[in-house]
Formats: sequence, structure tokens, C-alpha cells
Amino acid sequence: MSRLSLHRRSVLTGLAGTAALAGLSPAAMSQTKAKLVVIGGGFGGATAAKYLKQLMPEASVTLVEPKQTYHACPFSNLVIGGGRDMAAQAFGYDAFGKLGIDVVRQMATGVDAEARTVTLADGAMLSWDRLVMSPGIDFRWNVLEGYDEAASEVMPHAWKAGEQTVLLRRQLEEMEDGGLVVMSAPAAPFRCPPGPYERASLIANYLKTQKPKSKLLVLDAKDSFSKQPLFQKAWAERYPDHLEWRGASDFGGVVAVNPARMTLSTEFDDIKADVANVIPPQKAGAIAEAAGVADQTGWCPINGLTFESRLVPGIHVLGDATIAAPMPKSAFSANLQAKVCAAQITRLLAGQGPEATVLANTCYSYVAEDAAISITGVYTNDDGTLVSVTGAGGLSPLEGEAGVRAAEAAQAEAWYRTITKEAFG
Amino acid sequence: MRRKVRRLMAAAVLGAAAILPACSQSAEEGQAGAAAEAAATAALPGRTDMLVMSCSGCHSEAGEAIADLSGYTQDRLMTALSDYRNDAEGTTVMHRLMRGYSEADIEAISAYLGKGKAG
Repeated sequence: MSRLSLHRRSVLTGLAGTAALAGLSPAAMSQTKAKLVVIGGGFGGATAAKYLKQLMPEASVTLVEPKQTYHACPFSNLVIGGGRDMAAQAFGYDAFGKLGIDVVRQMATGVDAEARTVTLADGAMLSWDRLVMSPGIDFRWNVLEGYDEAASEVMPHAWKAGEQTVLLRRQLEEMEDGGLVVMSAPAAPFRCPPGPYERASLIANYLKTQKPKSKLLVLDAKDSFSKQPLFQKAWAERYPDHLEWRGASDFGGVVAVNPARMTLSTEFDDIKADVANVIPPQKAGAIAEAAGVADQTGWCPINGLTFESRLVPGIHVLGDATIAAPMPKSAFSANLQAKVCAAQITRLLAGQGPEATVLANTCYSYVAEDAAISITGVYTNDDGTLVSVTGAGGLSPLEGEAGVRAAEAAQAEAWYRTITKEAFG
Repeated sequence: MRRKVRRLMAAAVLGAAAILPACSQSAEEGQAGAAAEAAATAALPGRTDMLVMSCSGCHSEAGEAIADLSGYTQDRLMTALSDYRNDAEGTTVMHRLMRGYSEADIEAISAYLGKGKAG
């Protein structure tokens, strides 16, 4: 580090020397006045709030989240498949107050990047020195003709966990044996790339064991998907009579739905379903567009070092809302991005530049209640762009014995307990 | 504060509950202005603090099927992570992940998270 930057930082950090003499960390002192606001209490936002407060104990950290209870998406496919209670998906924010984080139970309705404020649904305003947004996803209603919010009450998406998850589970339970379940899977990018196929596996498992005359048809807007060879091998071995997948080349892409008639239409045919799970096209959560951090794709371009918006300085964006590929839209990614972002904000507020590191992702998917597969990735961010490390990452072995699948199912359970504790505990 | 950040991250991975107090610097370190400034630089979270952030998403005392690293010494971690990295036949999650890390990063992670040197 040069003398110049040392000098610059010592000015920025004010009483650094005094603080050290007093036995306080200079960095902690320097952040006394920082006002940090986090929008969104999912895996990204909850983790960010906790790490910001831990790294900068003197900063004011406010988490803006309207929901009293958060329902986690990871593992919610097990609820749909019938092997898990919804209560195991529910998390609150009781721990945050004890950590000195203000939780504001309001929807953020506006962001003014010039004035550095957030407007809340009740009209109150919060001001910030740095804003972290982890808004998750919203749906592009009516891109599939006929699929709007009202239609989702009949043909649930269950792609935000909660009532929709319970609704889809109930519909499967109420379906007569011999029924046809139809799932519509969207084109990329979307939240949780392997999610539709894990769900298909667990629905097929339910049908096979509880309603063996029934069948699941997956209509897909694409020809390739995450963990495809592993899923297709599991389907061929486990669910040959209960799961059929149709890719885009076989006219799998759904273009319209009719909830009154319970039909899904491709360019080739109309299919009548007894239960329809429509996973619609997606975009970053609505507040991202309002804040100006989403581009014409509907997603948020970010600097891969700091997760600062490439469109609006001072605002950092995390998780599913971002364009972070090759990092996927996963809970693991959101949680890790939050931690790295908190560390980089600590550096930026002390007048230092960001530092490069290595990031990773691991996603487990169940193919049955006691068998799981995984995908991993390792990423560098040296020039502000996330790049996969060649030769690292990849899938579980295709010829994995039963023991391998069972071991990864047990690891998945351990992962869920750890990451939810880190984010919400 | 480097030590503080380190302990914070290690606590996250290793499962220690307490959030550490802000003062971990010795008085000697903060005497001279230059020393204070150097200490301030060192205080900020850097590459290794961020490297180990990937670990705490999976490893804690809460999970049974994934190792809790709190009992690991630096040497044991170094050996385990290097073995994962260098085993070309390995197919577990850790084999696939560690192939993405340099020996230097593995050494830094092990020194950061490991308790004591021997063992």
C-alpha cells in the first residue's frame, strides 16, 4: 500500500490513531456513522444484515422485510412430494434484534439513489450510505398467455415458498388416482436451475408410491437443464411409468394456459391436466426495477467483486435478482454473495478498494426422499467478473452407487440446517 | 481487527456462538501513527476472510453428515484439503470444489480455520 492511500484512508477514517490507543479497532471506529439498509429478508438479505453488523458493530443496520415469517424454497419440494412438514421451512427474525439489527416490517416501495433514501409502504423514509438489495424474484405475468396472479390460485407456481407450496401439495393429495399432473418449466434464467427437476422427481415418487395409476408430464421450454444426465438416469431407473419429460424440440414449451378448462397449450397440442404446476418466466423482484438496478433483461448487472450495481453506484444487489452467471440463482450463492459483499462494503467504507477472492456454490437436489445428487462450482472474481475455474466443480458421479446418493441426501440435510442457521438463526 | 475478523469468520464456520468484541488490538500495535495505519489496513477483511466464507454455508456443528471443522488443527485441515485437491479420481463435493483452489489458498484457509499447528 502506498503512502498516499495510507494518508487518504487515515483522513477518511478520522480518529484512527486515537481509536487504536483507546483499544478500539480503527476500522470499527471509522464506520461509526455508516447507515446501512438491506432490502429483503431471504437468504441473501438476512445473511447480509448479520454480517454487516458483525463486521461493523458501530454501523446502523436496518433490514426491511414485510413478512413476519420467511418460508425457505430449498427443501420445499420435499413438502410438495409429501415427505416434509411445512413448519420445517419457516423462519423468523427474532435473532436480529438481539444482534442490534433493526427489522422494519414494511414493503420497500421506492429507492432514490440520488437522495440515498428508501421509501416504505407506510410512507416512512430510511436514509442510507450503502444500500443492499436482495429482492429475490417476481413473475412475468401473462408472458404465458392466460397465466396471471389469479391463474396461479388454480394452477400454482409454488416458486415462492409458502401458501403456494401448500396449495400444490393439497391439489396432489386431492387428485384421484389415475390423474395427470402437468408441470411447465421455464426457459433460463430462473430461480434454482435444478429445482423443477427435483420437484418432478419428488412428485413422480409420490405418484409411484401413493397413486400408481397417475403420471407426471413435464413440459419444458428448453432442451437442456441443470444436472440433466443425473436426473434422466434417476427417472429411467426409478420412475419409468410415472414421469415423462418433453423438451423444446418436442414442442414442450407452453405458450398459453386456461385455468378454467385446466389446459396447457404448446404450439403443437392442448393438454388437459388434473393438477397443473406452472413455473412462469421470472425477473428480479419489483423493487429492483423501481430502484433502477435492473436492466432491459429484468435482472440486475453487478460487479463480481463487490456486488455493487453496474447501473446505480452505492447500491449492492445479491442473490436470485442478479446477473451473476456462472454463479447460479441459488440459496448458497445468495448467502455467500451476502458475506463477500458485507466484507467488501467494510473495505469500501474504510476508503479501501475491494479485494479479489474465490467463491463457490454447492446445490443438492433430491431424486427420491433418501437419494440426492449435487452440482458444484468454483469462481474467481479478479476483474470484477465472475468466472468459473476450469477443471473444478461439476456433478455427482453418473454411476454413483446407492451409497453415494444416500450420502448426498444426508449432506443436503446437514447443509440445510447450517445455512438456515447462518441466515436466520 | 484482522484477528477480530478472522475470529468472526472462524466462529461462523466452527460454530462458536459469541460475536467478538471490537477490541483485539494490543496497545503496542497502536502506539505510532504509522503502526496504527498499518493495523487499520490489516484490520479490514481481505482475501482469506472471504475465502473461508464459502465454508460456513455447509460446515457447522448443526450438520451431522458434513464435518464440523471446530476440532481440526491447521495440519489436519491442510492435509485433508490438499488430498481432496490432488486426488484426480475423487468425486465427492469436496473433491470437486477443492480443485478450484490454489495450494496457497488452501494453506491460507487451513491457517485461518485450524486450531493450533500439530495433529
